[in-house]
Order: sequence, then structure tokens, then C-alpha cells
Amino acid sequence: MLKIDNLNKSYGTFRLDCSMEVLQGRVTGLVGQNGAGKSTTFKAVLGLIRPDGGRIEILGKDSSQFSAKEKQELGVVLSNAGFSGYLTIKDIVPVMGSLYARFDKTFFLEQVRRFGLPDNQKIKEFSTGMKAKLKVLTAISHRARLLILDEPTAGLDVVARDELLELLRAFMEQDEDRGILVSSHISGDLETLCDDIYMLHNGKIILHEDTDVLLDDYAVLKVDEQQYRTIEKRYILRCRKESFGYSCLTNQKRFYMENYPKLAVLKGSIDEVIMMMIRGEAL
Amino acid sequence: MRGLLIKDLKLMRNMGNSLIIILLVAVGMSFYNSDMSFIVVYMAVIGTTFTSSTISYDEFDNGNAFLFSLPVSRKDYVLEKYLFALLMSGTGWLVGSIASIAAGAAKGSLNLAEGMMTALVLLPVAFCLSAFLLPLRLKFEGEKSRIVMIIVMGGFLLVAVMVAKLAKGLGIDLDTLGERIPEMSAGAGIAVALGIGIALLLISCQISIKIMEHKEF
Repeated sequence: MLKIDNLNKSYGTFRLDCSMEVLQGRVTGLVGQNGAGKSTTFKAVLGLIRPDGGRIEILGKDSSQFSAKEKQELGVVLSNAGFSGYLTIKDIVPVMGSLYARFDKTFFLEQVRRFGLPDNQKIKEFSTGMKAKLKVLTAISHRARLLILDEPTAGLDVVARDELLELLRAFMEQDEDRGILVSSHISGDLETLCDDIYMLHNGKIILHEDTDVLLDDYAVLKVDEQQYRTIEKRYILRCRKESFGYSCLTNQKRFYMENYPKLAVLKGSIDEVIMMMIRGEAL
Repeated sequence: MRGLLIKDLKLMRNMGNSLIIILLVAVGMSFYNSDMSFIVVYMAVIGTTFTSSTISYDEFDNGNAFLFSLPVSRKDYVLEKYLFALLMSGTGWLVGSIASIAAGAAKGSLNLAEGMMTALVLLPVAFCLSAFLLPLRLKFEGEKSRIVMIIVMGGFLLVAVMVAKLAKGLGIDLDTLGERIPEMSAGAGIAVALGIGIALLLISCQISIKIMEHKEF
């Protein structure tokens, strides 16, 4: 659905060099710190910035050939942009109806009511959570094939976040010819929604893994100096010095559990993996 | 493009009060000021200013990035802004003309044919204003855009004053020139002026498309 090959973009000393893919029927997550290059990647995909090099293919077409009309197949949430705050939901409905041939007005208004969004109030007067809900609703209300969502759940409380994630899951279930690329700071969102996850750091992809593998096979070993000297280091991805010894990130949890039963093996969470991949050192 | 036009018309509602005040001022001026060209150009300028305001609304809070992630091309956006500008300045021109002609007729200071002729002569002026303003407004954002607006509007007034002074210096009486227009085939003159106005708009539109295509959001 989306293929990015060696996308390059430089801003001063920052350089993005990213390759990734979103497959049909899958939800792909993109994680990374602020300034890692997530938004730059999204903007390049959407044609908002001109890449210095590389190739982007969207729904089987080179991004330079991807016309405005074909953008009807995309549903987009940008973290720091949306419809003008001086418009109301009532204003947006005819705009969406004119821009998208398959805009589902009934579904959109139903969801607006369900989420308790005021349809006659200016968007700039909405709370952060209300704005986030509206952005997601506009992205999923025109039967898009590919959703490109930059931080869609930012600023939402747990309940609202869960409701939105449910909407995204329902969106995927309606048609197997769909896909989602989503970035988030909240690991819970990624763990429960994404099929695979890319990790971006300083403009480069440093990890790509299926979420199941990440959760099942990755772990952090807590070892003292003595254990650190003796353990097998072939499957250690990153290592970090701690007061008690070392924290070591592995993608072969079972190997260490079976061969070193006395080791403290902490089940890998996405947050833990991100922390270790970024702050740990490769051996 | 229809979606963008709807959006801008909805945004216009935020300027509702200013719009009413401007209309009242125009109607008031047309009764107390006998200079029809000033009122008509004033209304056209206001119409163009509204277009500039919608561009500001679009830029606010990084809104352009979102707009261009919708099924909207940069070209669509520019064409819609020109259409909107023509609609707004055209409406301003029409309201200004009708108010001036009606006031002139009521006061007996202006006959209908003369008023309509003056209004038609001023229409290309409205086109030129949009043609000059829009590329500059699309090129510059934020504080710079406000400076551009002042320079363009001020520049327009300055040019008008200079033309009048120059004409006076050369011994050309613009009033008698106006009266002589019908003798020199007024229709042809107005058609040429309109042609120049439309040509300027088309060139300006192409420049604006290039400006927008080079922008990053």
C-alpha cells in the first residue's frame, strides 16, 4: 500500500534516510522521539515537502504521479494541523461532501454525536481531546484505503483513546484492502493496534519488527558484572551500564530463559525496547 | 475546488460584522462623496482584502499542511483563490457601482449612462488589484504578508495620485478625457482595458501556481 525507499531529506544538520513499507490489511506503527523524523516522513508521503532523494510509492503509484483526486483514497491526521479553527463541524460537512466522492455523512454525524462533539461550535474552542476525535473522524469517514495518522491519540484520555482505537480496528475489519500507518508516543496504542512497528531514531530506521515478536521474543536482561562477562552476547542487541551491572536487550528471550535460568529476564514492552534501542550501546 | 470555495464562504461569516460596517460606510460615502471611482475602488479593495484574510485563515495553525493532504492540488487552491477574489472584488465593484449610481441619480449629479461607463472603466482596476496582490500574498506569510498588503494598497493609491499629477503636469484634464471617451469609441477602450486586466490576472495566476508549487508545509 505504501513503500518508502531511501527517502532522503535534510534540514541543517538533521538528515532523514528512511525505508519502510505498509502492507495491505496491516496496521504499521512508526515510533521515535520528538525530532526523530516521523512528521518529516509523513509530510514527504503526503507531498507537503520535496524529498532530496529516494522513492515513495502510494497505492501502487509513484508519489510524484499521485494526483489530488487519488488522495480521496487517503485519510490523514496530522499532529499539528487540521481544519481551520474558525469553522464548525456543520461547516465541515459540506466541504467534506464536496472534496470526497464517498464521504459518508450519516456515519460522520453519527460518530460526532457518539463522541459528544458540538456541531455548532468553532473548532478553536474545542478541547484537545475533542479536536483529536474530530481529526480521526474526518479521516475515516470517506472510505479511504490507506490511513496516514500522525499522533492521532495525542491528548486523549484513556476511555476516548480506547474508543478511537476501536474505530480504527472497525475500519480495518470492514475491508481487507485497507492499511494504516500510525505514529504514536503511547506504547499501549501501538501494542494493541499495530501488526508491525518501525522505530525511527535520528532520521534512521533502527528497528522493524512484528508487534507479536516484539512482545514475545524481546526482553531486557538484568545482569551483574560477573553474569555480564559470562553470558552469550550473540543475541544481545543493546546494552546499558546500570548501578547494579548491565541491562541488555535481546530478541531471543527463550534462549536466555532456558540457558541462564538464574538471570532476571523482564518481558519486553515497547517502551522498554525503545529506551534500550535509543539509549543502549550496540556490542 | 467547490469544497474550498464552500470553506472560504463559511470563513467569511467570521467577517460578518466587518462586512456590514463596510457596506454601511460605502452607502454613506456614496451619498456624501461625489467621487464615484473612489467608492467603487474602495469596495473592490475591501473584496480583495477578504480574499487575503481567507489565505491568513488557511495559514493559521499550520492549516495549509492539512489542506494539501486533502484531495486538493496546489493549482486547485490557487484557482479557487482567484475565483474567490473575483467573486469578492466583483461583488464589491457591483455594490459600489450600484450605490454610487443610485446616489448620483438621486442627487441628480450623475446620469445612468455616465455612471455605468465609469463603473465599467473601473472593473479592470479591480482585476489589476487582485492580479498584483494575490501572488505577493501567497508568497509571503505572517507579519511579512501584512507589510505586503500595506505596500500593495499604498502603492496603488500612490500610482493613482502620480498618474493624476502627471496628467495635470502634462496639461491633460482627466475629467474632460472621461467626457471625451464616448467620442473615441468607449466600448473599444473598455474592452481593451478589460482585456489587459484579464491578461494580467492570467499571468498573475500562473505566477501564483508556481509560488505554491514551490512551497513546503
